Amino acid sequence: MAQNNDRINQALQALREKAAGQWREFTGSTIPRIHIGMATCGLAAGAQETRDAFEAQLKKDNIQAVIHPIGCHGHCYAEPLVIIDHPASGLPPIMYQKVNEGKAVMLVKNFLKGNDPLLEHMYGAMEESDTIPAVMLFPRFNMEKRVIMDKCGRINPADINEYLALGGYAALGAALSLAPEAIVETVTASGLRGRGGAGFPTGRKWQFAAQQNAAEKVVVCNADEGDPGAYMDRTILESNPHQVIEGMIICARAIGAGRGVMYVRAEYPLAVKLVTRALEQARELNLLGQNILGSDFSFDIEVFQGSGAFVCGEETALIRSVEGYRGMPRHRPPFPVEHGLNGRPTVINNVKTLATIAPIIENGAEWFRSIGTEKSPGTAIFSIVGHVLYPGLVEIPMGETLRSLIFDICGGIPDKREFKAVQIGGPSGGCLPASFLDTPIDFDSLTAAGAMMGSGGMVVMNDETCMVNVARYFLDFTQKESCGKCTFCRIGTRHLLEILDRITKGQGKPEDLARLEWLAAAVKQGSLCGLGKTAPNPVITSLKYFRQEYEAHINDGVCPALMCRDLIAYYIDLDKCARGCDACVGCCPTEAIFTTANRKKGIDQEKCIKCGECRHVCIPLYNAVGKASPPGTVPMIEKPKVPVKDND
Amino acid sequence: MLTHATVEESQKLEAVRSRLMEGQRSRGSLIPILQTIQKEMGYLPAEALDLVAGLLNISAGEVYGVASFYNQFRFNPPGKHQIKVCLGTACHVRGGDIILENFERKLDIKEGHTTEDREFSLERVACVGCCALAPVVLMNEKTHGYMSPSKVEGLFTQLEIAKKKSESNKTDGSE
Amino acid sequence: MIKLYIDNWEIHATEGISVLQAALDSEIYIPNLCWVREMTDPPASCRLCFVEIAGRPAPVTACTTIVENDMEVHTDTEAVRELQRTSLKLLLSAHHVDCGHCPANKKCELQNLARFLKVKLKPAEFPTYQPTGLIDTSHPHLDYNRDRCVLCGRCVNACRDKNGRPLFTFAGRGSETIVTPLFPPAGQALDKDASLVCVDLCPTGALTRKG
Repeated sequence: MAQNNDRINQALQALREKAAGQWREFTGSTIPRIHIGMATCGLAAGAQETRDAFEAQLKKDNIQAVIHPIGCHGHCYAEPLVIIDHPASGLPPIMYQKVNEGKAVMLVKNFLKGNDPLLEHMYGAMEESDTIPAVMLFPRFNMEKRVIMDKCGRINPADINEYLALGGYAALGAALSLAPEAIVETVTASGLRGRGGAGFPTGRKWQFAAQQNAAEKVVVCNADEGDPGAYMDRTILESNPHQVIEGMIICARAIGAGRGVMYVRAEYPLAVKLVTRALEQARELNLLGQNILGSDFSFDIEVFQGSGAFVCGEETALIRSVEGYRGMPRHRPPFPVEHGLNGRPTVINNVKTLATIAPIIENGAEWFRSIGTEKSPGTAIFSIVGHVLYPGLVEIPMGETLRSLIFDICGGIPDKREFKAVQIGGPSGGCLPASFLDTPIDFDSLTAAGAMMGSGGMVVMNDETCMVNVARYFLDFTQKESCGKCTFCRIGTRHLLEILDRITKGQGKPEDLARLEWLAAAVKQGSLCGLGKTAPNPVITSLKYFRQEYEAHINDGVCPALMCRDLIAYYIDLDKCARGCDACVGCCPTEAIFTTANRKKGIDQEKCIKCGECRHVCIPLYNAVGKASPPGTVPMIEKPKVPVKDND
Repeated sequence: MLTHATVEESQKLEAVRSRLMEGQRSRGSLIPILQTIQKEMGYLPAEALDLVAGLLNISAGEVYGVASFYNQFRFNPPGKHQIKVCLGTACHVRGGDIILENFERKLDIKEGHTTEDREFSLERVACVGCCALAPVVLMNEKTHGYMSPSKVEGLFTQLEIAKKKSESNKTDGSE
Repeated sequence: MIKLYIDNWEIHATEGISVLQAALDSEIYIPNLCWVREMTDPPASCRLCFVEIAGRPAPVTACTTIVENDMEVHTDTEAVRELQRTSLKLLLSAHHVDCGHCPANKKCELQNLARFLKVKLKPAEFPTYQPTGLIDTSHPHLDYNRDRCVLCGRCVNACRDKNGRPLFTFAGRGSETIVTPLFPPAGQALDKDASLVCVDLCPTGALTRKG
């Protein structure tokens, strides 16, 4: 055994030294380095165009510089994000935000060719310095605690050597020298709970699987992130796939599995590509495959592309789809740890759970327990979107309050609007009102409040968001995504949706609220799987916390948030309308806006589709377009019989 | 309900078949096989279901039963320009449904359909993961963020201009 | 043998069978629809066979609960009946209730369930089902009427268990799910008798013999 351990350590040491050498050469040179965030969110914001612009301008100006594609930092609001490390300038690496093609050209010309770092476009310095404020001074940076995302945005996800150079796969080396039971023990002692939703203790799951007496066992990484508004699993796979792979190998070692499946949504082509490449590289270095690093342990991972069914995030449905069937959940028990993929004991863990394993093995259970709360140790990653100033991914220690996450870290609600609610846990979660802002974020507190941790999607909503409408949206989603197997989920969610649909159209009946409550409770209790059991949560919580809003829709035909389109109308406030401006007329897609005799504007309610475009263009200048509910209350403006000529 | 392959498509399918004959042919490879075919053909014509059924020695109905469960698989050919409107949560609270409506009105088709001339197909998708740019539209895999009804018009104008440009380039070249 | 109590009756059952089977064998009726005797892997999809078991916090489905020694089962509690009634009402709301024109009239299991649970065939809580008119006549021996199908899956599951090869499958998803007959791969014969067994299993008249 001892000799074997030496061999493993030597093999790993050789890999790490080579990687470290490459990294030293890269970071030690005086050639400027341009790091560009090229994960999906960066690319969507135009990172590829930015990269092309850098390359073209460098060539034109004949400047030597290295372009280093990196993953995502989580600062989606600032994409495309570029860090320029220009050692010869004497300045620390500087982060620039929203670097479009024009800025890229300017940065090459002024900073790399000239010596002006264009500080007016920067976000901050990546290190402390006397001359430039560091990004770490901002709450968006210094309130985070990065365990899972530590290396995201620092390395090129397509190069295994960069992960190795920053300490990657050290945990695997340590784990291979440990007895499998000792690995399970460490994970159990760390108190890690599954990051996929329900928060089941990971150590216990592994222990069950390890105890199974079976010739073949399987590890599945669940990256079937289907919650609309959540994308951290994708970001991790696109920014640092090896940390997840390392976690899977350690898990396989602990439970005695020989086969691994990475279940990634086919809608994430970049993640699929990068994970596939990462697996190839790991195989080349014998971190995967036969006799890993010279040990007696063999394990390999294949990629399976999920074909787009939200329900496949549920363990038993996921298994069915890998087996080649319709992804319909089955009754548990038996649990997958006993009877999983093709009947073999199977551990299914979420991406974030697996990405947490290597840091735990490396730093120990005690270290992990020192982060977060007693019952929910560690960190949580949220993709926080909607009406916040700085949307993106945030990794924080468990136990932070919602208030500090939304207001301190993410900058609060933009456009001078008020906070109204936050939806946590996606379609399975709940909507919490302002009175819950001081709730600590951990598994048990959120469940007690009626929401749930879920996969970590968080949508912040301002006072212009109608909660009935949001509940309707989520039910529409779960109803479409129901697998159709069991009665409550298949038919019950459809009736819930129909009632909500009626209410948002102003056709609600007084008995609807009681019916919603009754049906929601029945679907929650009667459904077969987790999707059905949690589907009514948005209805239940919004009815509990925003009941008066439902009542206004039903009793008065009013949408207090002015969002439900059947219950509102747009009008033009003639006192504010400027005579010379035609912006609203120009932008209206249905030509519903007409000019009155005194050149002020009016809206033809018959033609208006309530898209809100006129209000959008008018706000910055005159704010003359208003909304009112019910629609009948808008001031009527007579349309002139003969169209008014422009020059009168 | 199912579309039949054209002559050209049948030839393409034949090429895929010979490739698939060499790969894995167990029940577990059903979904990867369907993905390969759709990637090649853009959709799953009736002939493709028969082909897969033959490969795996199961009934074609069984193949359809599985394929029709998943959002990814389509049974009618996509348009030349594929428009996907994101209706994730962030896009919804920022008015994604209005954007979808504008496309529907502009193209005179409902979501999930293709225009008669097969130029455009329109789909709604649940979250493409660019929530910070909401509302988002994908046109031919290019992401357009911060959409608004007038930007919908703008996208079509852009396409018109690009089309005219390439046409005039063509005539310039031939002269 | 296992000894358990169902509604305070002492019952003896073979080890490994479900509470549902133990109850039915002892002539204690628990409403059920998707379950078929000797089924190895019950789908538990109709959500009708709820029972309460002493010591468990909420009602469970009897088809997926294996009998245990001294287990105390209650089939007639308010919580159980409420869930069963709701489930049946939901099923009826997605079913074209047109008994006068239905070949299954008077032998329909939905009618029996409704009588047992005292549920009206057109529950007032839900809007009336709008028929789609979809009838699949592609099979040489039987027809499938979508509007009568409640997706219990007996034809899909039981035929697969009995014949070793499925004769029907589900297609589509969610509330759009339908049942489709399967035809064997080219060169293999379609088993008429087995297909007709599935027709006999159908509880509602969604599958009917041709002619």
